[in-house]
Amino acid sequence: MTESADDVRTRPAAGDVAALTARLRADYGERVVTSHAVREQHGHGEGLADAALPDVVVFPHGNEEVAAVVRLCSATRIPVIAFGVGTSLEGHVAALYGGVCLDLSQMNRVLEINAEDLDCRAQAGVTREQLNAELKGTGLFFPIDPGANATLGGMASTRASGTNAVRYGTMRENVLGLTVVTADGRIVRTGSRARKSSAGYDLTRLYVGAEGTLGIITEVQLRLYGIPEAISAAVCQFPDLKSAVDTVIVATQLGIPVARVELLDGVQMDACIRYSRLDGFEARPTLFFEFHGTEAGVREQAQTIQSLAADHGGSAFQWASAAEDRSRLWKARHNAYYAVLALAPGRQAFATDACVPISRLTECVLETQADVATTGLVAPIVGHVGDGNFHLVILFDPGSADERARAEALARRVSLRAIAMGGTCTGEHGIGVHKLDALVAEHGDAVSLMQTIKRALDPHDIMNPGKTVPMPGRG
Amino acid sequence: MLDPTFTTSLAALLPASSLLTATEDTRPYECDGLTLYRELPAAVVLPETEDQVVRILQLCHAARVPVVARGAGTSLSGGALPVAGGVVLSLAKFRRIVAIDALTRTAVVEPGVRNLAISDAARAYGLFYAPDPSSQIACSIGGNVAENAGGVHCLKYGLTVHNVRKVRAVLVTGEIVEFGADALDAPGYDLLALVTGSEGLLAVITRITVKLLPKPQLAQVALAAFDDVEKAGAAVGAIIGAGITPGGLEMMDQPATRAVEQFVHADYPLDAAAVLLVEADGTPEEVAAEMDEIRAVLTGSGATEIRVSESEDQRLLYWSGRKAAFPAVGRISPDYYCIDGTIPRGALPRVLTQIETWSHEYGLPCANVFHAGDGNLHPLILFDANKPGDKERTIEFGDRILELCIEVGGTVTGEHGVGIEKIRGMCVQFPPAALERFLGIKRAFDERGLLNPGKGVPTLARCAEFGAMHVHAGVLPHPELPRF
Repeated sequence: MTESADDVRTRPAAGDVAALTARLRADYGERVVTSHAVREQHGHGEGLADAALPDVVVFPHGNEEVAAVVRLCSATRIPVIAFGVGTSLEGHVAALYGGVCLDLSQMNRVLEINAEDLDCRAQAGVTREQLNAELKGTGLFFPIDPGANATLGGMASTRASGTNAVRYGTMRENVLGLTVVTADGRIVRTGSRARKSSAGYDLTRLYVGAEGTLGIITEVQLRLYGIPEAISAAVCQFPDLKSAVDTVIVATQLGIPVARVELLDGVQMDACIRYSRLDGFEARPTLFFEFHGTEAGVREQAQTIQSLAADHGGSAFQWASAAEDRSRLWKARHNAYYAVLALAPGRQAFATDACVPISRLTECVLETQADVATTGLVAPIVGHVGDGNFHLVILFDPGSADERARAEALARRVSLRAIAMGGTCTGEHGIGVHKLDALVAEHGDAVSLMQTIKRALDPHDIMNPGKTVPMPGRG
Repeated sequence: MLDPTFTTSLAALLPASSLLTATEDTRPYECDGLTLYRELPAAVVLPETEDQVVRILQLCHAARVPVVARGAGTSLSGGALPVAGGVVLSLAKFRRIVAIDALTRTAVVEPGVRNLAISDAARAYGLFYAPDPSSQIACSIGGNVAENAGGVHCLKYGLTVHNVRKVRAVLVTGEIVEFGADALDAPGYDLLALVTGSEGLLAVITRITVKLLPKPQLAQVALAAFDDVEKAGAAVGAIIGAGITPGGLEMMDQPATRAVEQFVHADYPLDAAAVLLVEADGTPEEVAAEMDEIRAVLTGSGATEIRVSESEDQRLLYWSGRKAAFPAVGRISPDYYCIDGTIPRGALPRVLTQIETWSHEYGLPCANVFHAGDGNLHPLILFDANKPGDKERTIEFGDRILELCIEVGGTVTGEHGVGIEKIRGMCVQFPPAALERFLGIKRAFDERGLLNPGKGVPTLARCAEFGAMHVHAGVLPHPELPRF
């Protein structure tokens, strides 16, 4: 999305930016970068590649530095945008009104691991894979796994989810506390290491999912889990999409505690077979399952699911019990987005993020599939169907205005269809800039309350302006 | 006293039986479960429809009359304590279970529905509502959401905030707003989490969609005896550290088990310094495997005796002692004061030992009964309000426990809420920067500060008055505020 002419707000005055940059240089030296290449790299995430460049990129090393930069920005009303590794799919990091990009990737230390309390504290720039690597040997793991190797700060800010949400929840359930730098440049610790608290309003969950518009998350306290005694994964292929989705719905209804269940339609499966060299599978609608628990529990869950799948015409399970086979399988799932991009080099893609009550899932997926067929676009379906969340990865030719318009129209229909079915336009990717309209469609009255909260916690509208909550009369 | 025209307007809105103003009628509303504090409201209203709630709030808003929402009145922190000259808005007549959807595993209920009534209604579908405060036979789901209530099963299944999908509420201006969604996630700010646990300071809840869970096929509880409180505390950490998440993990010390035995005869070993109750639930295979692990950890932690329930009746018997612990203690002491501090599990042995030392120092017996797996303490300080000085020493003892909880990285309230009771503790736990965020949120919802004033979040001036302002790195915040 580019700036429109009727936007009241403008970029900060060049003189203010120059003065700020000089001051930042004096304080942080080479960790202040203004080269076009670096600003360009920080002006967009994944998904739609319309960059909006920040004026300057700073690489802070700690809470105090982040707070100091925010105080400087606050004084002259210059926007501040936090940046992790730039894997957002909804334009969260685009500097719509210029300003300072705070790249937190050098704040990448795991600060403490409390094995007995099953929690840890890490700086916002630690990635999910790095955290799990550092947990090796403790018998613990952190389960939230968006496709990309995102930073924990970015995951908290977008309330990310992943393939494990059915059993372990999303970031909402797994962030115990935060360190946040507020819009006036103060450092606040929310939550505590205690497992529960009813003291005060739930600031932790307010900042989780606020997409950097209320403050900047600099540290996260996370819940950890014991690696299950037994894990096994299985793949099951189906004659059509409906049979696959129905299998999931029945399993959910029976309350079988499947850890992961992922749907890939025929097109997506084809892309993954090619990209990740998955041998022995056909390009048909497919479910990936994973079961966690005791040896006995896992066996029992798997048997029940297998017979359910067979009732719906599913193939015999192909098992992946060895750790390396499992990780190859899930790697293929995590790379689904890149696999789709590889189908058509030169094209770009963006993802939809519909999430509906499980009772409407079959209907929503099938209508969406039929809708895709009418557009002539390539848009495979892949989803965390266990919690009613699925994505279309829509490919389009960036050179064709018409094709892009059709792709965007399809995405809008997907959002509105989900909302009409009692669901949401974003199960896990967030609002960013692309879904502001859908938020209003979905939340109605609550949006004005969100605006009031935004004004209360960021009165000068400098924290990631233009995102998450539409602000009337911005400027 | 209320302005007569205001009372007339209220009367015009409601049937006569829904408006109480005479002292003998309002007296039952003067306190909640925290009887240390009492205040008579100017009026009590008992609306029957959401529209009446809207109009009542509009009237109060226009006349700047404070409003305290009330469910079943079981709050342990004074959350439903009336405000002098204000209105108590009781949701007792909102008691319909609107719908149960077995496929999406949700129930839509009105706020006055009792916690246990939801599980009773869901049983036909093989489902249950997980959070189970000990008062679940009486407390209402609206109050549970307002306080973010916990319970025995929250260790495995989460608090109220994890088990609520959607809330419909009326703002103080009369506007109706829905928070959350029927789907897994709702976009934008997490207002659902903000309202959950907001203690009636942000909005009045009129409808709630809760998550239901499939009832486990089997549950078994192990009762383990320890000859030392510290060892029992360490065993809690060892269980969780072994990667086991029991359905419930509760601890009671000897003063508590003795009180309980006299009351419900739950067959607890009375010579033990502490007992742990550890529940495993799931399929029979899972329960058997988990029980083996639990037994091994308990033995390794020095348990002197381990009994595993052999029937559902026996399981319920073991739990009956835990669930009846508060009334049991109420029988052996004229008064007791329940604390709700919550700490990281690793700090349990240290904090328990310190509480025991202080108990001797103050000469006040203390029974400990609590959600050990969550690190959520409930020390019950036994005292006699009629004995001069007892109450003051009790409050001082309690404050010291809470300050210790904060010192070890915990919080002043795990599940009972701040209410009127822990306002002071809030000043210690949160620095001004955090309190200012709280106040900003309050203003965003309720600019005139009419909903449940004086509870939940202290003003900065109030903290200064208490002399309990959080002093960080030796810097006294807001030196300009007067201190008394």
